[in-house]
Parts: sequence; structure tokens; C-alpha cells
Amino acid sequence: MYKNSGFISFVLRRFTGVVLVLYLFTHMLVIGSATQGAAAFDAMLKIVQGPVFKVMEIALIAAVAYHAFDGVRLLIVHYFNVIDYRKSMFYAAFAVAAFFTAIGGLLILQLLLAAPQG
Amino acid sequence: MQDFKVPLTADTTILDALHYIKAELDGSLTFSRSCRHAICGSCAMNVNGRNLLVCKTPLTREMDGKGRVTIKPLPYLPIIKDLVVDRTSFWEQYQRVKPWLIPPANVPEKEFRISPEEVEAIHNAETCIMCGACYSSCQVIAMTKEYIGPHALLKAFLRVLDPRDAAPGERLADLSGEDGPYRCHTIFNCIDACPKNLNPTQAIETLRKLAQKRQAFEVERAERQKTLALPVKSGE
Repeated sequence: MYKNSGFISFVLRRFTGVVLVLYLFTHMLVIGSATQGAAAFDAMLKIVQGPVFKVMEIALIAAVAYHAFDGVRLLIVHYFNVIDYRKSMFYAAFAVAAFFTAIGGLLILQLLLAAPQG
Repeated sequence: MQDFKVPLTADTTILDALHYIKAELDGSLTFSRSCRHAICGSCAMNVNGRNLLVCKTPLTREMDGKGRVTIKPLPYLPIIKDLVVDRTSFWEQYQRVKPWLIPPANVPEKEFRISPEEVEAIHNAETCIMCGACYSSCQVIAMTKEYIGPHALLKAFLRVLDPRDAAPGERLADLSGEDGPYRCHTIFNCIDACPKNLNPTQAIETLRKLAQKRQAFEVERAERQKTLALPVKSGE
């Protein structure tokens, strides 16, 4: 195993990519329940609005943010001659993703705490 | 994994240590080496998790707090014995990119005229010693041996950018398949591993860009080769 920042970014990119695909299926399952009538849809929504799913949504934001900004990083590498700054760019992509995850996470936590329980 | 104790001086290289082990401690230890001054590319190994040439690396540089150095064969390649790996796939991929120069129709009587800018664009790629450090650090190679690999793509880059080469379009077309530069995941391990400080990732990015404007590049090259064989005038 050859480990450095490039390896970590590669593993995270692949992992978050798989997470996003899996999320897509779950998302279609939830939205697709609307075809079975309003009651089925409401029941499904009730499940996914529980606190466990809210925490999972924060993880989803992290995956989306990291995957997106890592992609931006690779586009910058492709179009500009910045390979010498590869390690800094990896940390920058990570920091920006962490920043957006924190904002999104706080908003979700706020909603979760404000929501009437039960 | 075996442990050996070797004598240490300020100028002991890792290769010296291996020689000492083979001569004094365990004659069965097998490793490949030849020139001992970082030009043959035989002695690339994985030391403390990094690929490097053991002949030019001082033992003291790699020692941890307890004076230990971990030497392993190049990763992701079949091990033949001890520190010797099977490089068959490495050489097969090298052959695949036709690493030789395809000369133009009009070869000059004396030298070709190549500008300093054209030489600079090659980024010293001609100094690659084919040690395999980049190849065996590549995560894509870890997953598939079908990938051409950073070493061969660097060589393809060298030939494509060489103004003397008469078939850059053909080369770029050959590389445009799924095993070429588009398979690179931009992990940068090859740059970190290269003992000659070369930049295979930049070469791969350049090949990707050129492959997208292949026909224009071919026309440009044909035009360039008209002036390549002009005689050098005195005083220039």
C-alpha cells in the first residue's frame, strides 16, 4: 500500500462516489413511494425525518461537499499548471468541504432541535 | 520479514547495508543492483513505505528513532525472491507506446534544429532511468495491469512533444483508449516516487490535452518539420 495525500484523496473520492450512488437509490425509493398514494408517502417521510436520518444527512453533505470540491481540485490540476501545489490543494479541498459540511450540519441540527418531538 | 544489524557510518547507503548483509550475514539475500550511482534504475525498492533508489539514499536519512529501516520489494508487482520483483508488465507497457523515435522523412545531414523552448517543454522527461518507482507506486497499477502506467506515458509524452517525431498523431490516437492517460486518477504518487524528480502526472495531463486537439497538433508538427532539417548557418 502506497500512502500519501494523493492516496487518501483517491480513497475518499471513490468512497464518497459510492455513497452518493447508494444515496440516489434510497432517494428514489423514498420519492417513488408517492406513486403508492399519500398515506404511503407520508409514512415513508416520517421514517426519514427521524434524528438518525438527520445525522446521516450531515454525513451526506460531507460526502457531497468533499466529492464536489475534490472534483474542482482535479479540474484545476487539469487546466492550470499547479501540480507543485498538489498537497496544499488537497488540504484546501478538504477544508472547504469541511466548512460547507459544518454550515449544512448546523442548519440540520437547528431544524432537528426546533422540530416538535414525536 | 527478517531483521539484520549492519555497521553504520555517515556515508553508508542502503545499498551498502544490503551488500553487507549479503556478504556477511545472509548470502541468500537477493536484490538487483548494477551501477551504484542512480543511473541504471535496477535498485528501486520500497523503503519505509516510499519507493526510492537504495544506491543513492543514505541509511541515516531513512532511520527511525530506534535506528530501524524497513526495506520491502516494489509494491504491486509479483515478487520473484526477497527484494526482486517481476517487471514483465512494466516492460510490456513500455513496448506498447513505441518508445523509439519515428524520424521525419527529411533527415538533415548534420544536427536537427530544436529551439530551447521545445527542449524545455519536454520537462527533462528524457532523463527517466526506467527504475519502476513510479509504476509500482501507482494506485491504478495496483488495480489493473492493463493501464499503460506513468513510466510509459512519460515516454509517450517525450516522443509526442519531440519536434523530430513524425507520428505524434498516431501516438495520440493509440493512447486515446481506456488504458491510456484518461485512466489516470491524478493521485500524484508517481511524482512523489520518482528519484529523478520527474513529473509523469504533468506529462499525462499534457497528453490528455493534446489528444483532444490531435488533428491540429499533427498539422502543426508537419509544418514544424519543414524547418527542422534546415542547415545551421554559421554564426547562429
